[in-house]
Amino acid sequence: MKKEATEKVVRTASPLACGPGCGLMACVKDGVLVKVEPGDFPGTGHVCARGLTYPKLVYHPDRLRYPMKRLGKRGEGKWVRVSWEEALDTIAARFKEIGAKHGSSSVSFVMDMMGILSVDVLLGFLGACQGTFILPAGCGDSAGVCADRVTYGSQWWFGEDYTTNFDKPALCLVWGNNPAETDFFKWRRIRDAKEGGARLVVIDPRFSTTASKADVYVPIKPGTDTALALGMMNVIIDQSLHDVSFIISHTVGPFLVRSDNGMFLREKDIVSGGLDKYMVWDTGAKAVRCHDAASGSPALTGSYRVGQMECKPAFQLLKELAAQFPLEKTSQITGVSTEVITKLAVAYAGSKPAASYRGMGCQRTFHGDITFHAINTLAAITGNISFEGHACFELNHVAFLTRGVPNLLPLMQLYDAAISGKPFPVKSLWVSRHNPINQEPNINKMIEEVLPCLDLLVVADMFMTTTASYADFVLPVCSFFECTDLIQPVGNGSHNYLQLQQKAIEPLYESKSDIDMIISMVGRMGIEGFLKEPLEELANTLLASGHPSMEGTTLERLRAGPVLPAAHALPNFSTPSGRLEFYTERLRQFGQELPVYKQPLEGPGSPLADKYPLVLLTPHTKYRTHSSFANVAWLRELDPEPVAEVCSIDAKPRGIKDGDLVRVFNDRGEVRLKARVHQGVRPGAVNICQGWSPGDYVSGTHQALTHETINPVHQAIYEPNASLYDVLVDVQPVKEA
Amino acid sequence: MKKRYGMVIDLERCTGCRACTVACKIENSMEHCTGIRVETVGGAWPDTPAGEYPELSMGFLPIACMHCERPPCRDACPTQAIYQRPDGAVLIDESLCNDCQECLAACPYDALVYDEDKALVRKCTLCSARLDQGLEPFCSKCCGYGAITFGDMGDPRSIVSKLAARSDAYALKPESKTGPAVIYLPAKASRGFQHGRRVSHR
Repeated sequence: MKKEATEKVVRTASPLACGPGCGLMACVKDGVLVKVEPGDFPGTGHVCARGLTYPKLVYHPDRLRYPMKRLGKRGEGKWVRVSWEEALDTIAARFKEIGAKHGSSSVSFVMDMMGILSVDVLLGFLGACQGTFILPAGCGDSAGVCADRVTYGSQWWFGEDYTTNFDKPALCLVWGNNPAETDFFKWRRIRDAKEGGARLVVIDPRFSTTASKADVYVPIKPGTDTALALGMMNVIIDQSLHDVSFIISHTVGPFLVRSDNGMFLREKDIVSGGLDKYMVWDTGAKAVRCHDAASGSPALTGSYRVGQMECKPAFQLLKELAAQFPLEKTSQITGVSTEVITKLAVAYAGSKPAASYRGMGCQRTFHGDITFHAINTLAAITGNISFEGHACFELNHVAFLTRGVPNLLPLMQLYDAAISGKPFPVKSLWVSRHNPINQEPNINKMIEEVLPCLDLLVVADMFMTTTASYADFVLPVCSFFECTDLIQPVGNGSHNYLQLQQKAIEPLYESKSDIDMIISMVGRMGIEGFLKEPLEELANTLLASGHPSMEGTTLERLRAGPVLPAAHALPNFSTPSGRLEFYTERLRQFGQELPVYKQPLEGPGSPLADKYPLVLLTPHTKYRTHSSFANVAWLRELDPEPVAEVCSIDAKPRGIKDGDLVRVFNDRGEVRLKARVHQGVRPGAVNICQGWSPGDYVSGTHQALTHETINPVHQAIYEPNASLYDVLVDVQPVKEA
Repeated sequence: MKKRYGMVIDLERCTGCRACTVACKIENSMEHCTGIRVETVGGAWPDTPAGEYPELSMGFLPIACMHCERPPCRDACPTQAIYQRPDGAVLIDESLCNDCQECLAACPYDALVYDEDKALVRKCTLCSARLDQGLEPFCSKCCGYGAITFGDMGDPRSIVSKLAARSDAYALKPESKTGPAVIYLPAKASRGFQHGRRVSHR
């Protein structure tokens, strides 16, 4: 008898680290994923070109099918198939051995995706064995968050919605961001605003797709956004276009700052038995008073003597900083004309409200944290801040930490942790759905110095990635259509929906989900009676935080579609003062209490620029999510190979013609690839869209050019960031033999 | 009222994301070709602009079969393999196609493709199998930014008819007098810094 074909459509969501977490409808026929359709999302629905190719990724002939153990040397490409039992038994034994020798913190895991249940199960497991969880945000996305933590007191992973969450912005200002290519939800919001009459201004060294849609394209020198923001603030303050009442009510602007130590003046500084209260200068009474005392309006400018102390309102200090960025100087630093700086400043201050969309691009320099600080400050002094929309889900993460809390190691500290054992010796590493050797800076250091220090490298992936190729064990992880998880939103102007990633098909070959693998390791590591619950119960545990944001969020509702956090009372800002802190005591030790402009480590102004005059940019494109999808033939038809994009102004004197083989190089290394000479890249910059692996290049890789220098400010506040766009190089034609 | 299915493509909304291109491939099993390509209106390479830095411009132009009222491909076909359905979709009857490829040359929009895998001429069918199920073509379904709107051009009350009636709506190569059922809306010019509508801040 002929079997009836069974068809079903499963609403799921993508956990890939492209960010938005797109909702997807998985169309399954006879247990096979045949097609992906846009997932229903309130008011919209979306699937990108990459998402549509998922069936090609899921059934890709190169998918890893069974666990393998390395034969021969690391990276030699010789493998032998082993059973799951043998692989996990051996890995657990090695972990225990290494842990006994170097301490339990030497056992480390990194996982890079948005499946929050997988991450929590992993954290619980690592807590129980006192191992180390490597935080992945520092691979380019953590600098801006540092600024949000000090200015807003935020806790989001990638950035806050304070500057974007307006119903009908009159101006959309996009900083170093290409959402038209890389973030559907963000672009939909910008596009809708533009169709509603808003002006769109895009600041970018590249003429991106987003720039092509702009009313004004502001061509900026890479790494100088902070200077532009300060120059704009100078125009705004100079022309009295700032929002005095917002500054007084919601920011630290009126708070007096002591000139002797840079701290806010407190009541206890001047009144014996006084409290920690912030002080302001009352313009009516011409005297100092507590900020919350009902009285005349506080001064925003001027200098005041309080007892023996000279004090100035924080806004006065900002005004003085901004005054150091007059038009000519700002223009010289940023490459933006004085006319555009003025018009932009006036338009930004005069458009109510004006939304600022901050991209990861403008914070991928060594001082990228200050760029977000400056943009937040610009928004603060013009009142372009929305208090709504920064509400996020408070999930029950702690429920997974009953057996202990793991050590946390920022990704950028992995190099030191492996090589010199600081802050603890990472000697074994399990990498899941992450490709650090390909995606983190300074590949040569990674391979030549970090790798030899790892006694064990385990890689769980769907494919033989660059990182997997150097592993001791390779474990086949299933695609996200083959397992269930919860997908948390990332904010930053995208969307705030929590979604269920629902299993649509059975795991292919011998592949397993991350959760299954980790749970299989629990007993093997000698941990008893932990993480025994079925998956659904684990998911319910995660939802049951009791936090008001979670009210009404159930698995049942999530099965039907995306869910927003329940409305709940939130402080405007979770800073020490409860206000927007554009002046922060916390960064005083670094000279960054205000958003000062610091040049990139490697920029046109640095000594290295004589030798290597071009700034290397390595942004995302629509054709790949980091290194994922680079192996999908349908996307390769559209974007076949890596190219070094240079402007003819830079190409011509170097004798480079379109299509020539070139080497892009600096003291750290080189990459060889074809040149693409076109006008869309700022003179003085070279662009190589990221995600390619060494095998895609003629030789080398763009990560041979990047560096892993850590900024202590990022380390003090959040996680050190990879300064991926803070890299100087030069380009030369290569004579083909 | 005579049905005439067609599409309006809003180039202001199109970001060149190529979701339509890939959607077409998967829906129609076009492994190495597609029924809808996206051209870049700009530089020599895809996704590059025209002009000189920083005075640049870049746009995108999705091109599929125009499902013409007077299809030159049909007229050029010696075996009458190409026909038009009553709803307007121009289709190829594969059983009649003799692989002569006259149609490829006849199309002013370069909208037909030769599928090497299947050794057949292929083209956009407006996803006619989906139309028969009451579904829209998969490219318009997957166009997240709403650049592609599908509908009945024969119905003056339809959204596509209203969009196509806009004064700035245009067809490609009007000189070909093919009567295309795919109509374009132009990208908007940059408006400069002039203030947007003022909205009072809450």
